[in-house]
Amino acid sequence: MTEPPIRLNVNGKTHDVAAAPDTALLYVLRNDLALNGPKFGCGLGECGACTVLIDGVAARSCVIPIEGCVGRAIVTLEGLGSRDHLDPVQQAFVTEQAAQCGYCLNGMIMTAKALLLRTSHPSETEVLEALRYNLCRCGAHIEITRAVMRAAGHAVEAQG
Amino acid sequence: MTSAAADSSHSGSLSVFRPAASAGAGGFETFIKITADGAVTAFNGHVDLGTGIRTALAQIVAEELDVSFARVVVVLGDTSRVPNQGATIASETIQITAVPLRNAAAQARHFLLARAAQRLELPVDDLSIEDGLVRGRDNRSVSYGELIGGETIRLELSDDVQVKAVESYAIVGQSVPRVDLPAKATGELVYVHDMRVPGMLHGRVVRPPYAGVDAGPFVGTSLIAIDEASVSHIPGLVGVVRVDDFVGVVAEREENAVKAAAQLKVSWKPTPTLPDLKDIATALRANPSTPRTLIDKGDVDAAIAAAETPMQRTYIWPYQMHGSIGPSCAVADYRDDGVRVWSGTQNPHLLRTDLALLLARPEAEIDVVRLEAAGCYGRNCADDVTADAVLLSRAVGRPVRVQLTREQEHAWEPKGTAQLMDVNGGLTADGGVAGYDFATRYPSNGAPTLALLLTGIVAPTPAVFEMGDRTAIPPYDYENMRVVAHDMPPIVRASWLRGVSALPNTFAHESYIDELATEAGVDPIEYRLRYLKDSRAIDLVNAVAERAGWVPRPVWQEPVAEGDIVRGRGFAYALYVHSKFPGYGAAWSAWIADVAVNKATGEVSVTRVVAGQDSGLMINPDGVRHQIHGNVIQSTSRALMEEVSFGRNAVASREWGAYPIISFADVPKIDVLMLPRQDQPPLGVGESASVPSAAAIANAIFDATGVRFREPPFTPERILKGLRGDEQQAPPATPIAAPAPPTPNDRWRNPFVGRRSVAATIVALSVAAIGVAAALLPGRSIAPVARPDPSVYSAATIARGQQLAALGNCMVCHTQANGVVNAGGRAIATPFGTIYSTNITPDSETGIGAWSYPAFERAMRDGIHRDGRQLYPAFPYSHFAKTNDADLQALYAYLMAETPIRAENRATELRFPFNWRPLMAGWNALFHRAELLEADPTKSELWNRGAYLVEGLGHCGVCHSPRNAFGAEKTNAYLAGGFAEGWEAPPLTSLSRAPIPWSEDELFTYLRTGESRFHGVAAGPMAPVVRGLAGLPEHDIRAMAVYLSSFNDVAITPSAQDELASKLELSTGTRTVSASQIGARLYEGACAVCHRVGGPALFGSRPSLALNSNLHSDTPGNLIRIILHGIASPVSSDLGYMPAFKDSLNNDQVAELASYLRQRFAPDKRPWVDLHAAVDQARRAASD
Repeated sequence: MTEPPIRLNVNGKTHDVAAAPDTALLYVLRNDLALNGPKFGCGLGECGACTVLIDGVAARSCVIPIEGCVGRAIVTLEGLGSRDHLDPVQQAFVTEQAAQCGYCLNGMIMTAKALLLRTSHPSETEVLEALRYNLCRCGAHIEITRAVMRAAGHAVEAQG
Repeated sequence: MTSAAADSSHSGSLSVFRPAASAGAGGFETFIKITADGAVTAFNGHVDLGTGIRTALAQIVAEELDVSFARVVVVLGDTSRVPNQGATIASETIQITAVPLRNAAAQARHFLLARAAQRLELPVDDLSIEDGLVRGRDNRSVSYGELIGGETIRLELSDDVQVKAVESYAIVGQSVPRVDLPAKATGELVYVHDMRVPGMLHGRVVRPPYAGVDAGPFVGTSLIAIDEASVSHIPGLVGVVRVDDFVGVVAEREENAVKAAAQLKVSWKPTPTLPDLKDIATALRANPSTPRTLIDKGDVDAAIAAAETPMQRTYIWPYQMHGSIGPSCAVADYRDDGVRVWSGTQNPHLLRTDLALLLARPEAEIDVVRLEAAGCYGRNCADDVTADAVLLSRAVGRPVRVQLTREQEHAWEPKGTAQLMDVNGGLTADGGVAGYDFATRYPSNGAPTLALLLTGIVAPTPAVFEMGDRTAIPPYDYENMRVVAHDMPPIVRASWLRGVSALPNTFAHESYIDELATEAGVDPIEYRLRYLKDSRAIDLVNAVAERAGWVPRPVWQEPVAEGDIVRGRGFAYALYVHSKFPGYGAAWSAWIADVAVNKATGEVSVTRVVAGQDSGLMINPDGVRHQIHGNVIQSTSRALMEEVSFGRNAVASREWGAYPIISFADVPKIDVLMLPRQDQPPLGVGESASVPSAAAIANAIFDATGVRFREPPFTPERILKGLRGDEQQAPPATPIAAPAPPTPNDRWRNPFVGRRSVAATIVALSVAAIGVAAALLPGRSIAPVARPDPSVYSAATIARGQQLAALGNCMVCHTQANGVVNAGGRAIATPFGTIYSTNITPDSETGIGAWSYPAFERAMRDGIHRDGRQLYPAFPYSHFAKTNDADLQALYAYLMAETPIRAENRATELRFPFNWRPLMAGWNALFHRAELLEADPTKSELWNRGAYLVEGLGHCGVCHSPRNAFGAEKTNAYLAGGFAEGWEAPPLTSLSRAPIPWSEDELFTYLRTGESRFHGVAAGPMAPVVRGLAGLPEHDIRAMAVYLSSFNDVAITPSAQDELASKLELSTGTRTVSASQIGARLYEGACAVCHRVGGPALFGSRPSLALNSNLHSDTPGNLIRIILHGIASPVSSDLGYMPAFKDSLNNDQVAELASYLRQRFAPDKRPWVDLHAAVDQARRAASD
């Protein structure tokens, strides 16, 4: 069975992917494009670990087939920045030490990025609402909230 | 196996080692290695579970070695490189495991300093060290690297090493940013999930049905057969592997391994029933146990017998999950010359022993490389999946990566066990503690690696671990005290979870002393201090009370309610005593928790926690603070909402809806108080702050409500039950309601056949009789023709025909799933049997290529095949007959211009007498009128155009009108709702159950985009219909909307729709108290992310459930189908996709969820009945 390749635009580059159209975007990003930022967490869109941006909107890549992504701009964690050139949201997470195991971190950063793309100065309530369906098991919620508030330009008090 | 370390062969090194305890590591274990370039590598046998020990260990080494923090690289958990220091458990990395590492660093420093003194010819006391550079007077200096030079220096670790004085610390005790976070924040860190090796394949395992049970003779012996043919069609499938009850699939691509695992047909023997774990107390008391007395002082029995106020209490702890966010994953490369695995294991060396046993190979041939993984807080499936990967790699001879599913991780992770604590005691006449007789039951063991059990290598005999004793002795100096641990085997697969048995034991100790204080009329903190003798404990309790502004509360007073909300405050304290009894203490911890309890809904919110901790020396204070935050948040989650549910024979919680964990919205404010004790030895901080949690919260709930809750989680239903007693229970999830009065559905008549009189009907019946008779004669065949040359038709005609084909949705019925368009073969279930659609491509033999236009027109108008056979009215010729000649000719032209496809037609499978085609002639006589549609001059042109489209090729009534016993559309219940392919096609008239009436604009939007904000998205068979309509011009869609909206007698304006929508969404915006709380949790965990009004913006649409037609329907079928099978093929990708929950939720859960959604979002509608049957039916139906 050979199906025509599916053309995806990821982090500004075009890729022709030889995978079935119903393949979850997450598998293609990870296995074909070696983008490890998005993580497999539940396969049901419940936890948010696989979040990417599609046309600037947060998207749970474990439940979106690649056929639905054709002609859209996909951005992954790697597309935001690298260790040497962190995106301001990534920088805020590092500054606030906003992770323990870090497995959920991709989803937190990408969801925060999506929030800030549509609301440049969200309130804390808006931040908590935006992150409400991103699960973290280590309990880094406080640091994560602080990181997003920092990225949103709010003054964040030192903890002490 | 070669080590990955890049040793510089031309330069020397200094290492500190000790002889290995086991021979497997090559005779010695290295702790520190310094190379001539000044780089420092530290080796530790524990692993970083996300707590930041990699950073803390680097601080310790940098401090003792006097090098900068940045110079130190820490290697953790790789069996070929690091010391065997056992499993990373019991918060002991810093307290225990770091000790030899620190000594090794100090030893290396002493050695290098002595050598420098020699080299510089100066006394040691005159030297100072700065980042590995030893300085003396006169700017004389020499670096560590220079001191090592080309030499290979090996120092055996000494027991007697002088380490630095705490006062001189410059790096330890400072907050240092975690070394791993920049890479984690950019996707650059390679977790075990991200490991790829050349030639790697993807595996999935298929677990037995006894999910989460690992003891009993059926374990490893339940598989009957595997049908490998069931997956042979999957591309790139490399193998199906079976070893006893171990089953796995391997494929070139991950998504194909996923498909193979889902589709592989495996038959299993029936699985035995579990004890009823809804009643943990009974199950644990019935579990065989051996008492082990941990302490027995004074005369407990006499003291209790003499108590003024006897108090006997039982506290119950539920089964809980570790709940790693990433399901476990591993890569294995099995070769004849050695086995290498990449694993997220918590205990690399123990895993290596297990793998050696599994493979019957010596440990020395196995290399476990530990990579970071999702946090695990005890034990997850990391070891299990590593063994799975090894078995699959061995079977296929290539490296294999195995990723467990969310369902597998939830079901099979060794649970944090349930626990039962009985306390007998009471008060003396003066309010003192008379006696304390404590018994604890803890059914858990080490949960052997699953593959060993599934393959029968390890017998599935439940072992007994003596682990119920952690912090079983309370921290209070009770005069008469007996503590007994009833050691028992596990009931379901269980292992240690953060706080192990100490958290449940402390829940009992700290709840009980609170009850004693209340009974004695003494402030609960003051009461504790009477029995607390440990000065560091007393200091901590006082400091926390002061920080929180604790107001003594000797007598319980009912708080002033704010509406339904009552607030309370509770205290609890613990010194986490862990490891083999009697064990030793980690950090001291105390909580003051503030709660708000909603007495109407039962919801408990922990609003603030003051968490105090004495951790001794804090290596990295920020790291300690984060650990305290993490513990407070996770243990609050456990206390408020976490409980594993079980089915008859297996774990039922298989995703985050059935096992919810705390969300951002529910995280308390946390005020951390860290006592400065830098002069004291460092203590483990990974678990301590969890230990007081549940008791502090329960005590706060008591303070708010006056009711004691002795069994977490403190869910709304449990709180309501506690507050109200047993009366006013939530109604059963699926109430048995009286059958609905039949809804009159003859409200609307078909405007075009409604004028038929009684006389006309009699005539028709007579004709029918004649028709049946006539049908006995053979039908007239129309001679085949050569396929017409498409070039005779104009492009405009073909294009027009294409639009009409789209309107008629030819391809929807005439194309099978994943089949060639219009080549037929789709099964169409009817009440009379199954019909298979035919090939309508212009293939001359199997399609309609030999059909002349008259033959085509006769089929469309009269339902007669070219060869004279009657067609079944599943082919809606009664509608098509209304189409004018020009349109039929255009349609014919289009079909003939398509690519011919050879595809044989499949015989229908109708029951007698329906399989007798001539009978259809009678049907036609009764129900079919081959007449063109006559325009209604009283209506607008647009209305008439819409009528032509809807009534004719559009054939909406086929699905949306009810049918009579003969399968014909009821003309007097026009568009009153019907069924298609098991889906309900809702009424399109004002009989619609939708809470907001359809308007012309909404019909237009829905038909154009597949979504109406006031109704929902098109799914099931309607999705391809709307997709087909995309070919029609706006004008035609508008006409259809105009026509269809004329069946709604209530016109609704856009603003009225908005207003009604807001009202409905507001009134259903909060949790429904009376409905299923299981359903409420499933909704919040599984549905709300995409459906809650005002929820986060996500790719795709957010259908509002309060407005969704399916939730307001008389039947639950559509809702249940969508929950089970999802929406994989929406009208357009703009609408987004919905995942299928059929493999994640069982029938009971889907029924609970549907029941809840109905009650919450359609509160004025009758509850659905027979939901279980409906779920069962929908599960058997194929997905769309």
